[in-house]
Amino acid sequence: MTKPITVWLTPPGPNPWKVITILEELQVPYVIHSFKFDDVKKPPFIDINPNGRVPAIVDPNTNLLLWESGAIIQYLEEVYDTDNKLTYDSLNEKHLLNQYLHFQMSGQGPYFGQCGWFNALHSEKLPSAIDRYVKEDHRLLGVLNTVLEDKTWLVGDKCTFADLAFLPWNTRLDMALLTPPGEDPLAPYPNVQAWQKRMESRASWKKVLEVRSKLMDEQGLQPNGIPKGIKTFQEYEEHIASANEAKK
Amino acid sequence: MSGVRVGSRGLFNARCLRRRTASSFVSSSPSLPPIYLNSIFCSRTPSTSSYSLYSTATAAATTMSRPDITLYTAQTPNGIKISIALEELGLPYKVEKIDITKNTQKEPWFLEINPNGRIPALTDTFTDGSKIRLFESGSILTYLAEQYDKDHKISYPQGTREYYEQNSWLYFQNAGVGPMQGQANHFYRYAPERIEYGVNRYINETRRLYSVLDAHLAKSKSGYLVGDHISIADISHWGWVAAAGWAGVDIEEFPNLKAWEERMAAREGVEKGRHVPSPHTIKEVLKDKAKAEKIAQESKGWIQQGMKADAKH
Repeated sequence: MTKPITVWLTPPGPNPWKVITILEELQVPYVIHSFKFDDVKKPPFIDINPNGRVPAIVDPNTNLLLWESGAIIQYLEEVYDTDNKLTYDSLNEKHLLNQYLHFQMSGQGPYFGQCGWFNALHSEKLPSAIDRYVKEDHRLLGVLNTVLEDKTWLVGDKCTFADLAFLPWNTRLDMALLTPPGEDPLAPYPNVQAWQKRMESRASWKKVLEVRSKLMDEQGLQPNGIPKGIKTFQEYEEHIASANEAKK
Repeated sequence: MSGVRVGSRGLFNARCLRRRTASSFVSSSPSLPPIYLNSIFCSRTPSTSSYSLYSTATAAATTMSRPDITLYTAQTPNGIKISIALEELGLPYKVEKIDITKNTQKEPWFLEINPNGRIPALTDTFTDGSKIRLFESGSILTYLAEQYDKDHKISYPQGTREYYEQNSWLYFQNAGVGPMQGQANHFYRYAPERIEYGVNRYINETRRLYSVLDAHLAKSKSGYLVGDHISIADISHWGWVAAAGWAGVDIEEFPNLKAWEERMAAREGVEKGRHVPSPHTIKEVLKDKAKAEKIAQESKGWIQQGMKADAKH
């Protein structure tokens, strides 16, 4: 019988939720070791991942410790997706999946992340830096919109791990781009928007949101990652600015 | 694959000539130096091909030539990952030099190969006889390892601990070192205005990532990132680490990483692969501060042009 895989994560960031989504899709048992973001660069986690970034997994079935969400997804697919639910075993498709996973890992993730930093989280507003990352986000969304023209999924005719790798970061786009409340940042990209809705409607993602909000709640965070008691991103920015001021 | 036959322009089918100034070159078996061609490359299907990378005898005996690799690349840390891997494997391949200073990578024909408009990209004849187009350097390295590295010269067998650990470091490079050092390059060398915060943010993150590599290499028995030999995890990092100074990072801070960089540079495959599609000069450039700044100034122009063009889409 499969022993549960331990997933080390801090709840607010998008990357661990890629892995949980895959585990949910494949119905692989897992336990979450949730800890605070402040502790990612400290023991015990720094001994698990020398890079001090989440997620990391420990699989007692194979005695493997692994970090980097893309590498973890590929591992889970190889070992636990024996029915090819989220993957293909034909070589062409296999490598196209890998290609899109790398595109997510080196493109969407880092750039959405930097955009969120300069646009929302960093206290000093630096217009040329914000401009750089907002433009790159739109460029990436444009690429996805082109790739998804007349297509339901990135590769082949079913939802795969490559699609799902994009899902958690897409849900954070409103924060990265500071989209006004009630508006969908994906609206200008109809193919991406429809694709994202298809993914969000999956049972795995609903479960992820449930687990995630519970773990956020434990740490005094709202489902959007903002500490409780703070209503808007603007208010949160002011809160961060005053906290930074206090540090000086 | 004992010899190389180089095609001339006349051998190409006229309908697939592309209107570009490209210099293609053909690399070869490990014993021969790369041959630069002043010709224009076009994609071919194996059945109509009259042009082969192999010796005539080999070509005649093979109906479907495989590998049939064309690497679309430029002299950048991501581009040379692939040529280094190909040289380490001793595979024949054609090179199509992409002029990123002219935004060639955003031309429609190239977007057909990589919709993201970035180098490197690679095409090959797949096992089923049809063409496969690949982009993202990490994905291309994985493809080459799985398809052509049967002896595990630059990779580890699937299912082994080393295989999965190699993937961790490969992603660490592609999602961490590459993007962050790239941002350091931007703010340190190319940005339209000097923003100290941006410069420091990315130089310090690159230094942090380097310190992770340095500490890991200090513990390595083989001197490589994973297992007992070189792997695509090492190859993926080398061009970036060799260009540390371009991003404002002092490699002297990281003695184990520096020693690794030199160990890698001493390899025949790295030495051959790094000069594709044009000579790899970054280490010499970095020794001359004035020259480095002059090149950065010149690059600023086309980089900012490219950014403007991207923003219009």
